[in-house]
Amino acid sequence: MNLVKKQLPLLIGMAVGVLVLAEFYVPASWLDVTREELLTFAQILAAAAFVLGGVNLIQVNYPKIRRREEDWQYKVVLLAGAAIMFAVGFPWQDIGENPSPGQVTVVDGAAAASGGAALLRVEATRDNALVKVDGGSPQRAVVDGRPLELELQPGAHTIHVYMPAVGYGELRTELEVAAGQTAVARAELPMLWGPSGRVRTWLYNYVFFPCQATMFSLLAFFIASAAFRAFRARNTEAALLLGAAIIVLLGRAPIGRFIYDALPEITNWIIDVPNNAGRRAIMMGAALGGIVTGLRVILGLERSHLGSE
Amino acid sequence: MDKGRVHNRPSLIERLQGFDRRWIFLAMALAVVGPLLRPCNLPFKASPMVKALYNTIDELEEGDVVYLSADLDPPATPELEPFFRAVVLHLKRKNVKIALGSTWYAAPPLIERWIRDVVEPQIARPGEDGYQGAPDRPYRKNEDYVWLGFREGKQAVINKLGSDLWGNYDGRAADGTPLDQIPFMKDKRQLDDFDLVILLSAGSPGAKEFVQQVQTRYNIPMVASVTSVMTTDLTPYYDAGQLLGLAGGMLASAEYEQLVGLPGLGTQGADVLNVGQIVVILAIVFGNVIYFASRRRRRFS
Repeated sequence: MNLVKKQLPLLIGMAVGVLVLAEFYVPASWLDVTREELLTFAQILAAAAFVLGGVNLIQVNYPKIRRREEDWQYKVVLLAGAAIMFAVGFPWQDIGENPSPGQVTVVDGAAAASGGAALLRVEATRDNALVKVDGGSPQRAVVDGRPLELELQPGAHTIHVYMPAVGYGELRTELEVAAGQTAVARAELPMLWGPSGRVRTWLYNYVFFPCQATMFSLLAFFIASAAFRAFRARNTEAALLLGAAIIVLLGRAPIGRFIYDALPEITNWIIDVPNNAGRRAIMMGAALGGIVTGLRVILGLERSHLGSE
Repeated sequence: MDKGRVHNRPSLIERLQGFDRRWIFLAMALAVVGPLLRPCNLPFKASPMVKALYNTIDELEEGDVVYLSADLDPPATPELEPFFRAVVLHLKRKNVKIALGSTWYAAPPLIERWIRDVVEPQIARPGEDGYQGAPDRPYRKNEDYVWLGFREGKQAVINKLGSDLWGNYDGRAADGTPLDQIPFMKDKRQLDDFDLVILLSAGSPGAKEFVQQVQTRYNIPMVASVTSVMTTDLTPYYDAGQLLGLAGGMLASAEYEQLVGLPGLGTQGADVLNVGQIVVILAIVFGNVIYFASRRRRRFS
């Protein structure tokens, strides 16, 4: 049991670490191939982690709902939200036969076209569909309740019928017409499900997006409040920090140049010189720390990722 | 005179110490809404980092292909959407092909909307009011641009983009079109094959991870537009030449808009920055005045 739980993961970690590290220094093609495979494994594992996350979400929250623990109502919303996004994010139309976005047929006879021209008639099932011919400006497919009719010059054209909103099928086709012919584009534009589907896009645009934007917007108010309550010049270091912050805040807004012409340049100097010096020191320190941790994992000295102390 | 009543009235310092911070919230709300309703349009000049970014893109030639990685989510849109609009206009004016991808799960619907709003239609028409620059043209899917989609795996994905971009996206665009059927993608097998990599980053994984995982190893030309808080993290990479240009935050996006000659969302936001930053500075100053006054009072009493 100890072999499976402790030693085997340790050996896998060591082997993978050595292989990936060796690839940097040893010009062998089999190491390249191995690295590519390992990266593919990493992607599959990352995707599988989403499934585990979903299971964990239910395992953690469902018992709390059943026991009516504090704030259980929010957990119902959480699980319902996850279930709805899973359901609408699944490309249901891919099960079985894919719905056709429509087709274009060319027939002889174009009564409404002037001499030497062909005619395009767009019959869209959705009133607010748009049509582009040869990548030009979009036009409404239904005008005063009637299908759009356009004159086309004889020759090859590209027709694109689509909905203004994301989440519908699109009819995108090339056709060739001769003088006097009529091309009839029957656009079904079916509503799609899945990651780019209509319902998921709607939920993203009108629920997820505003919620996330609202949470982030609150930051402006918290920053102002925190600046008032906590940003105090209690000692020399704090006073220096405060002075630099005020200069950078002013210098990174157009009003900085309005107040003092050289303020943006002073701001750039603060960012380029003292800030960069500090940043580089932190980055180098973190990189050295990363190397040491990596070596400890490869040598089997670091075991915290296996769940042991 | 009733001395007792005079002594019971709280002093100015005491009243300031009990200052209700909801006034600061109100001031901040007015600072955000006011400039949007009545813009003051203060002039600003592009910073050296933004100019370097602009020049790097301006050096691209017709037919070049760039990889644009949009690693962001909705909260980052006020800072990064103006840059996206401006840089896409710049690329379209130069007839540069664009391959878009993302390593953030929340990004695809946003990018698909931007493709519809910015990439596909013509956004700068000749003689348009307030626009100074050449017109662009509508871009066609899988002819002028390709949307590759999102891949989970964070740094592993970025690493693999450096050596096998096709493998990373299973050889297909997001709409299922095989990459070998998209003419400008035929010889773009890895990031190194692109003429430039443009990064729009709102956090991790993003510009920093692209530099660490692939830029240094394959010597790939890269530029980045990031949120304000990430700017100081990335300036060392700009100074080291690993990033050829860097735009940090909303003001940098406004500067880029100014350089391409199409003022938009970023320029509007720069006005909000003016007043918002002043509210923060006043809050700091006001808080310190109260702090020093009360410290002085304690010392003397």
